Amino acid sequence: MAKLEARGIAKYFAHESHRLKALGGISLKVDSGDFVCLVGPSGCGKSTFLRIIAGLEVPDEGEVLFDGRAVSGTGPERIMVFQEGALFPWLRVRDNVEFGLRMAGLPKKERSDISARYLEMMQLTKFADSFTHQLSTGMKQRVAIARALAMDPDVLLMDEPFAALDDATRDLLLFETQLVWQKTKKTILFVTHNVAEAAVLGTKVAVFSNRPSVIKKEIKNDLPRPRDPEGASLKEFQQRIRAELRPGGGGA
Amino acid sequence: MARNYAIHKAAFYAGIILAWQLVAMAEVWPPSVFPSPYQVAEDLAFMVSDGSLAWGMAVSMWRLAAGLAIAVGGGIILGVLMARVEAVNQTVGSLVLGLQSIPSIAWVPLAILWYGLNDAGIIFVVAIGAIFAVTINTYTGVKNIDPHYVEAARNMGASGTKLVVSVLLPAAFPYMISGFKQGWAFAWRGVIGAELLFAYLGLGHLLYASRSLTDVSQIIAIMLAIMAIGLAVDGLLFKRLERGVMSRWGLG
Repeated sequence: MAKLEARGIAKYFAHESHRLKALGGISLKVDSGDFVCLVGPSGCGKSTFLRIIAGLEVPDEGEVLFDGRAVSGTGPERIMVFQEGALFPWLRVRDNVEFGLRMAGLPKKERSDISARYLEMMQLTKFADSFTHQLSTGMKQRVAIARALAMDPDVLLMDEPFAALDDATRDLLLFETQLVWQKTKKTILFVTHNVAEAAVLGTKVAVFSNRPSVIKKEIKNDLPRPRDPEGASLKEFQQRIRAELRPGGGGA
Repeated sequence: MARNYAIHKAAFYAGIILAWQLVAMAEVWPPSVFPSPYQVAEDLAFMVSDGSLAWGMAVSMWRLAAGLAIAVGGGIILGVLMARVEAVNQTVGSLVLGLQSIPSIAWVPLAILWYGLNDAGIIFVVAIGAIFAVTINTYTGVKNIDPHYVEAARNMGASGTKLVVSVLLPAAFPYMISGFKQGWAFAWRGVIGAELLFAYLGLGHLLYASRSLTDVSQIIAIMLAIMAIGLAVDGLLFKRLERGVMSRWGLG
């Protein structure tokens, strides 16, 4: 059974006087431990789809199943990492990472054990007592990932988390995200418009069409890790994604 | 470049006191109508030494603190409710906008009839004069919270009171400080005004008593004391609080 399944997800938006179909009935199965990258043109609704999986938005049609059961609303088994991190500026890095644990009522000792583990995994130990605005954008995204991992969710939902980073920082985080995924065996859904990112990260790439969007093609990626973004085989894989993204392209 | 204007300031105030002294010495008006700064200083020193000033301050400050505490507590609750529940905003919110246009001193007649000439009446005037500034600023602050904060918090299991206390209030706090500051300013005006009319202890009552005795010099001395308290609270308390919050929240 799939860990996570989307069945015929459709979403309409009010546009002037009529309803605009943004998501045209999207179905997707994600197995435990999959790293699925959702790629598509900007505005195709891939982020909306992810938000629906997270329970932050309600679909007009279709349903989301987790372990075979329909879910509504957010849940601690599906944790979102936002594009801008959405870290709390009034809390120190450590307290940001412990936020969900505090909400769950975990005692202090347990919280600090857990936060210490993930701060170390994301190489943030030195910055545990900093405020988030004292950190670079790349460090902030590390905190956002550590905060999500601390919740120990089954599924990690990442909404273009590296879109605002410079190339060098992004490459580093792409490398580390692979390590984290291998280490934690999390199921990850990762939205990006960056083909190279999707090629490096995913075990599977789901290519979205323009709106009303559907998944045009799912491409498996079994290349060995850690993957070299500049490697020839990865470049070739990127070409396959690009071919699918071209309007009217792909379908092979 | 931030220039240091300390010398300008000192010279300015020295000039004012000197001009005042010269006008008084010229005896354009009799000393009972236009006392010299020396007379005022003497009166001030006397009121300090016999404890009447300290007693008046203590009484006024206690009423202020009690009224302001009610205003802050009530204002925060009202503001959060207005921001989160649209029905409350449309109903209570419209009333708040109307009530906040009433100067606090206009509540004095009601307060006297409802509570009598006592502390409770003055505290009522102070609280009602300050509460709406706190309410409106809290409302604005909560309304302006980055929706991603709330989504992330909900995703991590925050809801109800936990969401309010752990996310909404800290996120809105920089706005709320402006509300506290405005609330304090209204409360301070309210307490002195009410005491003048209630004629029941406090700095306002000292002013009233001095007027009955036609003691202009003492009136000016008390006004200086009122000004000094105002400057101290603004400069020492609120400036520091604001600076602390701005730097912690990364807004400075």
